[in-house]
Amino acid sequence: MAELGRNGFLNQVLPAGAVFPDFMLPSAEGRLVSLSAQLARGPVIVSFFRGEWCPFCRLMLAALTEALPEIEAAGATLLALTPETGGLALTMKQYHGARFEVLCDVDCGVGLAAGVVFQIPKLYRARMAADFAERQGNAGFFLPIPATFILAPDGVVAWRFADVDFTHLAEPADIIDAVRSLRETA
Amino acid sequence: MELSQVRYFIALSRTLNFSRAAAECNVTQPAFSRAIQKLEAELGGALLFRERNLTQLTELGRGVRPHLEAMLDAADAARDLAASRNARAPASLKIGLGPGIGAASIAGAVREVAAALPGASIHFEEGGPAALIEAMLNDMLDCALLPDFCDLPERLNRWPLYTDRAVAVLPPEHVLARQNAVTASDILGETILAGEYCGGFSHRLAAGGFSLRLQRCNGPTSQILDLVAAGLGIALLSDRLSIAAPLTSRPFHEPELTRKILLTAVAGRPLNPAAASFVKLCRAQTFV
Repeated sequence: MAELGRNGFLNQVLPAGAVFPDFMLPSAEGRLVSLSAQLARGPVIVSFFRGEWCPFCRLMLAALTEALPEIEAAGATLLALTPETGGLALTMKQYHGARFEVLCDVDCGVGLAAGVVFQIPKLYRARMAADFAERQGNAGFFLPIPATFILAPDGVVAWRFADVDFTHLAEPADIIDAVRSLRETA
Repeated sequence: MELSQVRYFIALSRTLNFSRAAAECNVTQPAFSRAIQKLEAELGGALLFRERNLTQLTELGRGVRPHLEAMLDAADAARDLAASRNARAPASLKIGLGPGIGAASIAGAVREVAAALPGASIHFEEGGPAALIEAMLNDMLDCALLPDFCDLPERLNRWPLYTDRAVAVLPPEHVLARQNAVTASDILGETILAGEYCGGFSHRLAAGGFSLRLQRCNGPTSQILDLVAAGLGIALLSDRLSIAAPLTSRPFHEPELTRKILLTAVAGRPLNPAAASFVKLCRAQTFV
Protein backbone atom coordinates (compact mmCIF):
# COMPACT_ATOMS: atom_id res chain seq x y z
CA MET A 1 0.00 0.00 0.00
CA ALA A 2 2.72 2.41 1.02
CA GLU A 3 4.57 1.30 -2.08
CA LEU A 4 1.57 2.08 -4.28
CA GLY A 5 1.46 5.52 -2.69
CA ARG A 6 5.18 6.14 -3.23
CA ASN A 7 5.03 5.01 -6.83
CA GLY A 8 2.63 7.80 -7.69
CA PHE A 9 -0.22 5.39 -8.35
CA LEU A 10 -2.82 8.10 -7.85
CA ASN A 11 -1.33 10.14 -10.73
CA GLN A 12 -2.52 7.39 -13.02
CA VAL A 13 -6.12 7.49 -11.87
CA LEU A 14 -8.43 9.30 -14.27
CA PRO A 15 -8.50 12.89 -12.93
CA ALA A 16 -11.38 15.34 -12.60
CA GLY A 17 -11.95 17.02 -15.95
CA ALA A 18 -11.15 13.89 -17.99
CA VAL A 19 -13.83 12.09 -19.97
CA PHE A 20 -14.66 8.72 -18.48
CA PRO A 21 -14.51 6.19 -21.35
CA ASP A 22 -17.94 4.87 -22.32
CA PHE A 23 -18.48 1.19 -21.56
CA MET A 24 -21.04 -1.58 -21.68
CA LEU A 25 -20.87 -4.35 -19.08
CA PRO A 26 -23.06 -7.23 -17.91
CA SER A 27 -25.15 -6.56 -14.84
CA ALA A 28 -25.64 -8.92 -11.90
CA GLU A 29 -28.93 -10.02 -13.50
CA GLY A 30 -27.32 -10.75 -16.89
CA ARG A 31 -28.31 -7.64 -18.81
CA LEU A 32 -25.94 -5.35 -20.70
CA VAL A 33 -25.76 -1.88 -19.20
CA SER A 34 -24.06 1.01 -20.99
CA LEU A 35 -22.67 4.09 -19.33
CA SER A 36 -23.93 6.44 -22.04
CA ALA A 37 -27.51 5.19 -21.61
CA GLN A 38 -27.28 5.96 -17.88
CA LEU A 39 -25.67 9.37 -18.51
CA ALA A 40 -28.61 10.28 -20.74
CA ARG A 41 -30.68 10.40 -17.54
CA GLY A 42 -28.29 12.53 -15.49
CA PRO A 43 -25.07 12.32 -13.49
CA VAL A 44 -23.66 8.84 -12.84
CA ILE A 45 -21.66 7.62 -9.85
CA VAL A 46 -19.22 4.88 -10.84
CA SER A 47 -17.87 3.06 -7.81
CA PHE A 48 -15.26 0.27 -7.97
CA PHE A 49 -15.40 -2.58 -5.50
CA ARG A 50 -12.80 -5.25 -4.95
CA GLY A 51 -15.30 -7.98 -4.31
CA GLU A 52 -17.82 -9.69 -2.17
CA TRP A 53 -15.02 -11.05 0.09
CA CYS A 54 -13.79 -7.55 1.07
CA PRO A 55 -15.24 -6.36 4.40
CA PHE A 56 -14.57 -2.68 3.62
CA CYS A 57 -16.41 -2.98 0.34
CA ARG A 58 -19.32 -4.59 2.16
CA LEU A 59 -19.47 -1.65 4.55
CA MET A 60 -19.38 0.79 1.68
CA LEU A 61 -22.10 -1.07 -0.22
CA ALA A 62 -24.29 -1.12 2.88
CA ALA A 63 -23.78 2.64 3.28
CA LEU A 64 -24.58 3.27 -0.38
CA THR A 65 -27.69 1.12 -0.21
CA GLU A 66 -28.82 3.27 2.68
CA ALA A 67 -27.90 6.49 0.87
CA LEU A 68 -29.54 5.48 -2.42
CA PRO A 69 -32.83 7.38 -1.90
CA GLU A 70 -30.85 10.59 -1.37
CA ILE A 71 -28.61 9.88 -4.36
CA GLU A 72 -31.67 9.32 -6.52
CA ALA A 73 -33.36 12.41 -5.14
CA ALA A 74 -30.29 14.36 -6.28
CA GLY A 75 -30.93 12.98 -9.77
CA ALA A 76 -27.95 10.61 -9.99
CA THR A 77 -27.62 6.95 -10.97
CA LEU A 78 -25.25 4.67 -9.06
CA LEU A 79 -23.26 1.93 -10.79
CA ALA A 80 -21.15 -0.44 -8.66
CA LEU A 81 -18.43 -2.33 -10.55
CA THR A 82 -16.79 -5.52 -9.33
CA PRO A 83 -14.25 -7.77 -11.10
CA GLU A 84 -15.90 -10.87 -9.68
CA THR A 85 -17.58 -13.37 -12.01
CA GLY A 86 -19.65 -16.55 -11.72
CA GLY A 87 -22.69 -14.94 -10.15
CA LEU A 88 -20.77 -13.22 -7.32
CA ALA A 89 -22.04 -9.80 -8.44
CA LEU A 90 -25.57 -11.07 -7.86
CA THR A 91 -24.61 -12.56 -4.49
CA MET A 92 -23.17 -9.18 -3.51
CA LYS A 93 -26.27 -7.36 -4.66
CA GLN A 94 -28.71 -9.69 -2.92
CA TYR A 95 -26.74 -9.65 0.32
CA HIS A 96 -27.24 -5.90 0.53
CA GLY A 97 -30.70 -5.80 -0.99
CA ALA A 98 -29.18 -3.18 -3.27
CA ARG A 99 -31.50 -1.58 -5.82
CA PHE A 100 -28.68 -0.02 -7.86
CA GLU A 101 -26.91 -1.83 -10.71
CA VAL A 102 -23.97 -4.03 -9.76
CA LEU A 103 -21.93 -4.55 -12.93
CA CYS A 104 -19.37 -7.20 -13.61
CA ASP A 105 -16.11 -5.62 -14.84
CA VAL A 106 -14.84 -8.90 -16.31
CA ASP A 107 -11.01 -8.96 -16.45
CA CYS A 108 -10.92 -5.42 -14.94
CA GLY A 109 -11.14 -3.75 -18.36
CA VAL A 110 -13.02 -0.65 -17.24
CA GLY A 111 -10.88 -0.50 -14.10
CA LEU A 112 -7.80 -0.41 -16.32
CA ALA A 113 -9.28 2.34 -18.50
CA ALA A 114 -9.99 4.37 -15.34
CA GLY A 115 -6.45 3.75 -14.03
CA VAL A 116 -7.56 2.12 -10.79
CA VAL A 117 -6.13 -1.38 -11.27
CA PHE A 118 -3.09 -2.71 -9.47
CA GLN A 119 -1.50 -6.13 -9.08
CA ILE A 120 -1.43 -7.74 -5.66
CA PRO A 121 2.26 -8.21 -4.81
CA LYS A 122 3.39 -11.86 -4.70
CA LEU A 123 4.15 -11.59 -1.01
CA TYR A 124 0.50 -10.97 -0.13
CA ARG A 125 -1.22 -13.34 -2.51
CA ALA A 126 -0.93 -16.37 -0.26
CA ARG A 127 -2.12 -14.42 2.77
CA MET A 128 -5.36 -13.31 1.19
CA ALA A 129 -8.15 -15.72 1.81
CA ALA A 130 -10.05 -15.15 -1.44
CA ASP A 131 -9.34 -17.39 -4.43
CA PHE A 132 -8.99 -14.70 -7.08
CA ALA A 133 -8.36 -17.05 -9.98
CA GLU A 134 -11.71 -18.70 -9.36
CA ARG A 135 -13.64 -15.60 -8.34
CA GLN A 136 -12.51 -13.47 -11.27
CA GLY A 137 -12.01 -16.29 -13.79
CA ASN A 138 -8.49 -14.95 -14.35
CA ALA A 139 -5.31 -15.78 -12.44
CA GLY A 140 -3.67 -12.39 -12.91
CA PHE A 141 -4.13 -11.15 -9.31
CA PHE A 142 -5.30 -7.75 -10.46
CA LEU A 143 -7.70 -5.73 -8.32
CA PRO A 144 -9.18 -2.25 -8.51
CA ILE A 145 -8.56 0.21 -5.69
CA PRO A 146 -11.97 1.12 -4.25
CA ALA A 147 -12.32 4.40 -6.17
CA THR A 148 -15.48 6.41 -6.81
CA PHE A 149 -16.10 8.76 -9.74
CA ILE A 150 -18.97 11.18 -10.22
CA LEU A 151 -19.61 11.87 -13.88
CA ALA A 152 -21.48 14.86 -15.26
CA PRO A 153 -24.06 14.00 -17.94
CA ASP A 154 -21.44 14.71 -20.64
CA GLY A 155 -19.27 11.91 -19.19
CA VAL A 156 -16.64 14.24 -17.71
CA VAL A 157 -15.31 13.33 -14.25
CA ALA A 158 -16.66 16.05 -11.95
CA TRP A 159 -15.43 14.57 -8.68
CA ARG A 160 -13.42 11.56 -7.71
CA PHE A 161 -12.33 9.73 -4.63
CA ALA A 162 -9.34 7.40 -4.83
CA ASP A 163 -7.06 6.16 -2.09
CA VAL A 164 -4.56 3.34 -2.27
CA ASP A 165 -5.53 2.46 1.31
CA PHE A 166 -8.45 0.08 0.87
CA THR A 167 -9.76 0.95 4.33
CA HIS A 168 -10.40 4.52 3.12
CA LEU A 169 -13.51 4.74 1.02
CA ALA A 170 -15.64 7.61 -0.19
CA GLU A 171 -18.20 8.89 2.32
CA PRO A 172 -21.76 8.65 0.98
CA ALA A 173 -22.43 12.12 2.44
CA ASP A 174 -19.55 13.54 0.36
CA ILE A 175 -20.88 11.78 -2.73
CA ILE A 176 -24.34 13.24 -2.20
CA ASP A 177 -22.89 16.74 -1.64
CA ALA A 178 -20.83 16.46 -4.82
CA VAL A 179 -23.84 15.33 -6.86
CA ARG A 180 -25.94 18.19 -5.47
CA SER A 181 -23.29 20.79 -6.28
CA LEU A 182 -23.02 19.33 -9.77
CA ARG A 183 -26.72 19.95 -10.23
CA GLU A 184 -26.46 23.48 -8.94
CA THR A 185 -23.67 24.41 -11.35
CA ALA A 186 -25.51 22.83 -14.28
CA MET B 1 -1.26 1.02 -14.00
CA GLU B 2 -2.42 2.94 -17.03
CA LEU B 3 -4.22 1.71 -20.09
CA SER B 4 -1.55 3.15 -22.39
CA GLN B 5 1.27 1.42 -20.48
CA VAL B 6 -0.46 -1.92 -20.88
CA ARG B 7 -1.17 -1.21 -24.55
CA TYR B 8 2.50 -0.38 -25.14
CA PHE B 9 3.68 -3.50 -23.33
CA ILE B 10 1.39 -5.76 -25.38
CA ALA B 11 2.59 -4.11 -28.63
CA LEU B 12 6.17 -4.60 -27.48
CA SER B 13 5.63 -8.22 -26.53
CA ARG B 14 4.29 -8.86 -30.06
CA THR B 15 7.02 -7.01 -31.98
CA LEU B 16 9.93 -7.44 -29.51
CA ASN B 17 11.25 -4.22 -31.00
CA PHE B 18 11.09 -0.90 -29.12
CA SER B 19 11.12 1.44 -32.10
CA ARG B 20 8.62 -0.57 -34.12
CA ALA B 21 6.26 -0.97 -31.16
CA ALA B 22 6.49 2.76 -30.36
CA ALA B 23 5.70 3.63 -33.98
CA GLU B 24 2.77 1.21 -33.95
CA CYS B 25 1.41 3.00 -30.88
CA ASN B 26 1.97 6.46 -32.39
CA VAL B 27 4.22 7.62 -29.59
CA THR B 28 7.83 8.77 -29.40
CA GLN B 29 10.37 6.21 -28.29
CA PRO B 30 11.43 8.05 -25.10
CA ALA B 31 7.79 8.33 -23.98
CA PHE B 32 7.26 4.70 -24.90
CA SER B 33 10.30 3.54 -22.89
CA ARG B 34 9.27 5.63 -19.89
CA ALA B 35 5.82 4.05 -19.91
CA ILE B 36 7.31 0.55 -20.01
CA GLN B 37 9.67 1.46 -17.13
CA LYS B 38 6.76 2.73 -15.06
CA LEU B 39 4.87 -0.48 -15.65
CA GLU B 40 7.95 -2.48 -14.66
CA ALA B 41 8.27 -0.43 -11.46
CA GLU B 42 4.66 -1.14 -10.63
CA LEU B 43 4.82 -4.85 -11.38
CA GLY B 44 8.04 -5.19 -9.42
CA GLY B 45 10.66 -6.19 -11.99
CA ALA B 46 11.92 -6.12 -15.54
CA LEU B 47 9.40 -7.32 -18.12
CA LEU B 48 11.98 -7.48 -20.92
CA PHE B 49 15.65 -8.22 -21.44
CA ARG B 50 17.03 -5.28 -23.37
CA GLU B 51 19.99 -6.57 -25.32
CA ARG B 52 21.28 -5.02 -28.49
CA ASN B 53 19.87 -7.43 -31.01
CA LEU B 54 17.66 -9.34 -28.74
CA THR B 55 14.63 -8.01 -26.93
CA GLN B 56 12.92 -10.80 -25.05
CA LEU B 57 10.29 -11.15 -22.38
CA THR B 58 11.58 -12.05 -18.94
CA GLU B 59 9.85 -14.73 -16.91
CA LEU B 60 7.83 -11.99 -15.19
CA GLY B 61 6.96 -10.52 -18.59
CA ARG B 62 5.81 -13.88 -19.93
CA GLY B 63 3.81 -14.49 -16.77
CA VAL B 64 1.86 -11.23 -16.79
CA ARG B 65 1.43 -10.95 -20.54
CA PRO B 66 -1.73 -13.12 -20.95
CA HIS B 67 -3.42 -11.39 -18.01
CA LEU B 68 -2.56 -7.89 -19.21
CA GLU B 69 -3.67 -8.86 -22.69
CA ALA B 70 -7.02 -10.10 -21.34
CA MET B 71 -7.45 -6.88 -19.37
CA LEU B 72 -6.59 -4.72 -22.38
CA ASP B 73 -9.03 -6.70 -24.55
CA ALA B 74 -11.69 -6.29 -21.85
CA ALA B 75 -11.11 -2.52 -21.76
CA ASP B 76 -11.31 -2.27 -25.56
CA ALA B 77 -14.35 -4.54 -25.71
CA ALA B 78 -16.26 -2.55 -23.06
CA ARG B 79 -15.60 0.63 -25.04
CA ASP B 80 -16.18 -0.87 -28.52
CA LEU B 81 -19.44 -2.44 -27.43
CA ALA B 82 -20.70 0.89 -26.15
CA ALA B 83 -19.58 2.51 -29.42
CA SER B 84 -21.19 -0.11 -31.64
CA ARG B 85 -24.43 0.29 -29.74
CA ASN B 86 -24.50 3.88 -30.95
CA ALA B 87 -23.14 3.16 -34.41
CA ARG B 88 -25.37 0.13 -35.08
CA ALA B 89 -22.49 -1.53 -36.87
CA PRO B 90 -23.14 -5.05 -38.14
CA ALA B 91 -21.71 -7.71 -35.87
CA SER B 92 -21.81 -11.45 -35.74
CA LEU B 93 -21.80 -13.95 -32.91
CA LYS B 94 -20.72 -17.48 -33.82
CA ILE B 95 -21.04 -20.01 -31.03
CA GLY B 96 -20.02 -23.66 -31.16
CA LEU B 97 -22.05 -26.17 -29.18
CA GLY B 98 -20.33 -29.42 -28.22
CA PRO B 99 -22.03 -32.82 -28.37
CA GLY B 100 -25.49 -32.75 -26.83
CA ILE B 101 -25.06 -29.22 -25.45
CA GLY B 102 -28.18 -27.19 -26.06
CA ALA B 103 -28.47 -23.44 -26.51
CA ALA B 104 -31.21 -23.09 -23.87
CA SER B 105 -28.81 -22.16 -21.03
CA ILE B 106 -27.06 -19.44 -22.99
CA ALA B 107 -30.12 -18.16 -24.87
CA GLY B 108 -30.63 -15.35 -22.36
CA ALA B 109 -27.11 -14.05 -22.92
CA VAL B 110 -27.54 -14.27 -26.71
CA ARG B 111 -30.83 -12.38 -26.47
CA GLU B 112 -29.10 -9.66 -24.48
CA VAL B 113 -26.31 -9.28 -27.05
CA ALA B 114 -28.85 -9.14 -29.90
CA ALA B 115 -30.85 -6.51 -28.03
CA ALA B 116 -27.75 -4.38 -27.40
CA LEU B 117 -26.51 -4.76 -30.97
CA PRO B 118 -29.52 -4.78 -33.28
CA GLY B 119 -28.37 -6.10 -36.63
CA ALA B 120 -26.03 -8.68 -35.10
CA SER B 121 -26.30 -12.05 -36.79
CA ILE B 122 -26.27 -15.16 -34.64
CA HIS B 123 -24.88 -18.47 -35.72
CA PHE B 124 -24.80 -21.76 -33.82
CA GLU B 125 -22.67 -24.69 -34.88
CA GLU B 126 -23.20 -28.09 -33.29
CA GLY B 127 -20.29 -30.49 -33.60
CA GLY B 128 -17.67 -32.71 -32.06
CA PRO B 129 -15.01 -31.08 -29.86
CA ALA B 130 -12.17 -31.55 -32.35
CA ALA B 131 -14.10 -29.89 -35.19
CA LEU B 132 -15.23 -26.99 -32.99
CA ILE B 133 -11.72 -26.42 -31.63
CA GLU B 134 -10.32 -26.35 -35.15
CA ALA B 135 -13.04 -23.91 -36.23
CA MET B 136 -12.18 -21.62 -33.30
CA LEU B 137 -8.46 -21.72 -34.08
CA ASN B 138 -9.28 -20.88 -37.73
CA ASP B 139 -11.41 -17.95 -36.65
CA MET B 140 -14.61 -19.55 -37.98
CA LEU B 141 -16.16 -19.56 -34.50
CA ASP B 142 -15.85 -16.96 -31.72
CA CYS B 143 -16.24 -19.37 -28.82
CA ALA B 144 -17.61 -22.80 -27.99
CA LEU B 145 -19.27 -24.68 -25.15
CA LEU B 146 -17.41 -27.95 -24.61
CA PRO B 147 -17.41 -30.72 -22.02
CA ASP B 148 -14.38 -30.64 -19.71
CA PHE B 149 -13.31 -34.20 -20.54
CA CYS B 150 -12.24 -33.38 -24.09
CA ASP B 151 -8.63 -32.48 -24.89
CA LEU B 152 -8.33 -28.71 -24.95
CA PRO B 153 -5.19 -27.12 -26.40
CA GLU B 154 -3.23 -24.73 -24.16
CA ARG B 155 -4.20 -21.87 -26.46
CA LEU B 156 -7.80 -21.98 -25.37
CA ASN B 157 -9.08 -19.94 -22.46
CA ARG B 158 -11.71 -21.84 -20.49
CA TRP B 159 -14.26 -20.84 -17.90
CA PRO B 160 -16.58 -23.31 -16.15
CA LEU B 161 -20.24 -22.49 -16.85
CA TYR B 162 -22.33 -25.25 -15.33
CA THR B 163 -22.60 -28.96 -14.67
CA ASP B 164 -25.21 -30.89 -16.55
CA ARG B 165 -26.53 -34.33 -15.63
CA ALA B 166 -28.06 -37.11 -17.63
CA VAL B 167 -31.79 -37.61 -17.97
CA ALA B 168 -33.48 -40.60 -19.58
CA VAL B 169 -35.57 -39.38 -22.50
CA LEU B 170 -38.55 -41.68 -22.96
CA PRO B 171 -41.12 -42.17 -25.71
CA PRO B 172 -44.81 -41.51 -24.96
CA GLU B 173 -46.45 -44.02 -22.58
CA HIS B 174 -43.11 -45.67 -21.72
CA VAL B 175 -43.26 -47.86 -18.62
CA LEU B 176 -40.28 -46.05 -17.01
CA ALA B 177 -42.21 -42.76 -17.17
CA ARG B 178 -44.21 -44.05 -14.18
CA GLN B 179 -41.05 -43.72 -12.05
CA ASN B 180 -39.68 -40.49 -10.58
CA ALA B 181 -36.15 -41.38 -11.59
CA VAL B 182 -34.39 -44.01 -13.64
CA THR B 183 -31.35 -46.11 -12.68
CA ALA B 184 -28.81 -48.05 -14.73
CA SER B 185 -30.43 -51.37 -13.88
CA ASP B 186 -33.80 -50.07 -15.10
CA ILE B 187 -32.48 -49.59 -18.63
CA LEU B 188 -30.52 -52.83 -19.10
CA GLY B 189 -33.30 -54.27 -21.23
CA GLU B 190 -33.85 -51.13 -23.26
CA THR B 191 -32.43 -50.08 -26.60
CA ILE B 192 -30.42 -46.92 -26.05
CA LEU B 193 -29.77 -44.55 -28.91
CA ALA B 194 -26.16 -43.48 -28.69
CA GLY B 195 -24.22 -41.30 -31.06
CA GLU B 196 -21.65 -38.57 -31.14
CA TYR B 197 -24.26 -35.90 -30.36
CA CYS B 198 -25.70 -37.60 -27.29
CA GLY B 199 -23.15 -36.14 -24.92
CA GLY B 200 -21.30 -39.36 -24.12
CA PHE B 201 -23.48 -40.36 -21.14
CA SER B 202 -24.41 -43.82 -22.41
CA HIS B 203 -20.85 -44.55 -23.52
CA ARG B 204 -19.57 -43.67 -20.08
CA LEU B 205 -22.15 -45.96 -18.53
CA ALA B 206 -21.12 -48.78 -20.87
CA ALA B 207 -17.45 -48.14 -20.09
CA GLY B 208 -18.36 -48.37 -16.40
CA GLY B 209 -19.25 -52.06 -16.81
CA PHE B 210 -22.98 -51.98 -17.61
CA SER B 211 -23.83 -54.12 -20.60
CA LEU B 212 -26.20 -51.86 -22.47
CA ARG B 213 -27.99 -52.50 -25.71
CA LEU B 214 -26.67 -49.54 -27.68
CA GLN B 215 -28.11 -48.54 -31.03
CA ARG B 216 -25.53 -46.50 -32.87
CA CYS B 217 -27.25 -43.37 -34.06
CA ASN B 218 -25.37 -40.34 -35.36
CA GLY B 219 -27.03 -37.05 -36.12
CA PRO B 220 -28.13 -33.87 -34.40
CA THR B 221 -30.04 -34.06 -31.13
CA SER B 222 -33.32 -33.03 -32.74
CA GLN B 223 -33.23 -36.16 -34.90
CA ILE B 224 -32.32 -38.40 -31.96
CA LEU B 225 -35.45 -37.04 -30.25
CA ASP B 226 -37.52 -37.84 -33.36
CA LEU B 227 -36.28 -41.41 -33.24
CA VAL B 228 -37.10 -41.72 -29.54
CA ALA B 229 -40.61 -40.44 -30.32
CA ALA B 230 -40.91 -43.03 -33.09
CA GLY B 231 -40.19 -45.78 -30.54
CA LEU B 232 -36.72 -46.86 -31.71
CA GLY B 233 -35.37 -46.65 -28.17
CA ILE B 234 -34.63 -44.34 -25.28
CA ALA B 235 -31.75 -41.86 -24.97
CA LEU B 236 -29.55 -40.48 -22.19
CA LEU B 237 -29.18 -36.76 -22.80
CA SER B 238 -28.31 -33.58 -20.92
CA ASP B 239 -30.95 -32.24 -18.51
CA ARG B 240 -30.42 -28.81 -20.06
CA LEU B 241 -31.91 -29.72 -23.42
CA SER B 242 -35.54 -28.77 -23.78
CA ILE B 243 -37.55 -31.95 -24.22
CA ALA B 244 -40.95 -31.27 -25.77
CA ALA B 245 -44.11 -33.36 -25.38
CA PRO B 246 -45.01 -36.10 -26.21
CA LEU B 247 -41.51 -37.13 -25.02
CA THR B 248 -40.86 -37.19 -21.30
CA SER B 249 -37.63 -37.18 -19.35
CA ARG B 250 -36.76 -38.59 -15.95
CA PRO B 251 -33.63 -37.83 -13.90
CA PHE B 252 -31.02 -40.55 -14.23
CA HIS B 253 -29.18 -41.69 -11.11
CA GLU B 254 -27.29 -44.72 -9.74
CA PRO B 255 -24.78 -43.98 -11.02
CA GLU B 256 -24.99 -40.21 -11.31
CA LEU B 257 -23.78 -39.14 -14.75
CA THR B 258 -22.58 -35.53 -14.87
CA ARG B 259 -20.22 -33.45 -16.95
CA LYS B 260 -18.82 -29.96 -16.54
CA ILE B 261 -19.47 -27.58 -19.41
CA LEU B 262 -16.81 -25.00 -20.17
CA LEU B 263 -16.95 -21.85 -22.24
CA THR B 264 -13.82 -21.75 -24.40
CA ALA B 265 -12.25 -19.13 -26.65
CA VAL B 266 -8.83 -18.70 -28.22
CA ALA B 267 -6.48 -16.91 -25.80
CA GLY B 268 -4.93 -13.64 -26.87
CA ARG B 269 -7.28 -13.09 -29.78
CA PRO B 270 -9.51 -10.04 -29.44
CA LEU B 271 -13.18 -10.89 -29.97
CA ASN B 272 -15.61 -8.69 -31.88
CA PRO B 273 -17.97 -6.64 -29.66
CA ALA B 274 -20.84 -9.13 -29.95
CA ALA B 275 -18.69 -12.12 -29.03
CA ALA B 276 -16.80 -10.26 -26.30
CA SER B 277 -20.03 -9.19 -24.63
CA PHE B 278 -21.45 -12.71 -24.92
CA VAL B 279 -18.37 -14.15 -23.17
CA LYS B 280 -18.58 -11.49 -20.46
CA LEU B 281 -22.29 -12.12 -19.89
CA CYS B 282 -21.64 -15.84 -19.54
CA ARG B 283 -18.72 -15.34 -17.19
CA ALA B 284 -20.56 -12.79 -15.08
CA GLN B 285 -23.51 -14.98 -14.24
CA THR B 286 -24.15 -18.24 -12.49
CA PHE B 287 -26.07 -20.99 -14.26
CA VAL B 288 -28.44 -22.70 -11.86
